[in-house]
Amino acid sequence: MRLESSTPGAKARPPSGAASQDYTAADISTLIGRVAKQDRAAFAELYKATAPKLLGVVLRILKERSWADDVIQEAYLKVWQRASLFDAGKASPITWLVSIARNKAIDELRKHPAGRTSTDDAMDERVARQPTAQDQMEDQQEVRKLNQCIDQLAKERQDMVRLAYLSGWSREELASQYQQPVNTMKTWLRRALQDIKGCLES
Amino acid sequence: MSEHDDLDMQIAEFVLGTLPVDERKALSARRQLDPALDARIQQWEERLAGMTDDIAPVQPGPELFAEIERVLDQQAAQATQPDNTASVVTLRRQVNLWRWSTALTSAAALVLVAVLAFQPAGAPESFVAVFQHDDQQPAFLLTVDLQNRQLNIRPVTAEPQPGKSYQLWIKSDELGPNPRSVGVLGDQMQLDQGALKQYDPALLREATFGISLEPPGGSPTGQPTGPAIHGYLYPAGDGQSRGV
Repeated sequence: MRLESSTPGAKARPPSGAASQDYTAADISTLIGRVAKQDRAAFAELYKATAPKLLGVVLRILKERSWADDVIQEAYLKVWQRASLFDAGKASPITWLVSIARNKAIDELRKHPAGRTSTDDAMDERVARQPTAQDQMEDQQEVRKLNQCIDQLAKERQDMVRLAYLSGWSREELASQYQQPVNTMKTWLRRALQDIKGCLES
Repeated sequence: MSEHDDLDMQIAEFVLGTLPVDERKALSARRQLDPALDARIQQWEERLAGMTDDIAPVQPGPELFAEIERVLDQQAAQATQPDNTASVVTLRRQVNLWRWSTALTSAAALVLVAVLAFQPAGAPESFVAVFQHDDQQPAFLLTVDLQNRQLNIRPVTAEPQPGKSYQLWIKSDELGPNPRSVGVLGDQMQLDQGALKQYDPALLREATFGISLEPPGGSPTGQPTGPAIHGYLYPAGDGQSRGV
């Protein structure tokens, strides 16, 4: 059972049809390749396959549905413009797409920090991992490995990393939550990231 | 910590989202110009991406994709019918400000200018101007990468004229009342990419550009003498997809 936050906007609707499950990473790569050739049908299909995933990620950060919708719109316009830059040798297609949307969401959040209803609810969502339906677009082995590596961090640091990555918390917000100077938070975050990298490479 | 490690951690925090805004912006701009940096950012994106696996997908409303398609249609229409766009109104005003004596007298050659709202893939601070012979056809496409101060000029319908040279001009209030030569287009209708290096990006953003047809090798007087066509840099990309 998935925990729901108290903010109505943050509630994840059950995916209807869960189209993404029908697509593999290779399918998504192919679609991006066709979009690079300005293929609108491929673009529609790519959107259908991936927008629910991207919207979930963006909504988790911004909390406001209409704000998240705006970011998704911008993200897909960017995908349309930049599809030719996608390099399957450098990034998995879903990571590439999610990163475009996540970057925009975080940029927006930093521009209008007051736009987010509350940061408290993110604490509720902090929740340790919640396995969702098997998602073919992501390499489950890599996901498991990352989670193992994060789990090796001290509990507080696991939370900090997830709050930052998933909910868009800034250094300042984390510092205030954990009652630490901002510089200490920077050090902790970097150490955590260093540890995760070391663990992933081990 | 070595410099390399420090950059690595800066990248990691960029991807995590906790890098302070000014550093974030700087890194974001640099990655567009630095493929090695971009690759390192993508590596970190790849490392951390698994965290989003925990997030339940959220089905977008049906109107959202319709809206995206509407914007794409609009952009496509702008590309083919620049006269219908608001940017052209701005542009005509700009063109009116730029009075080239000879151009004004050769009414037949005096032309309208239009602008394509068009994003060259991957160029963040690029601006594009289209120089038109008339209402229908773009003559040249000028792209300026403000960050790099690199220009790229491409003939679209313009063709080499026997015994004549095309010359690119820049005009800005800061440069005085007269246009300045940016350079004479070569036989392949090309121009040195670094020809704008000496100009401040802020000036380039505001400047008007023109192309005139001159005697071979360029204007003998240092000012445009032949029929001219004008253009105005228009922000392409993120700026114009906002607020739709």
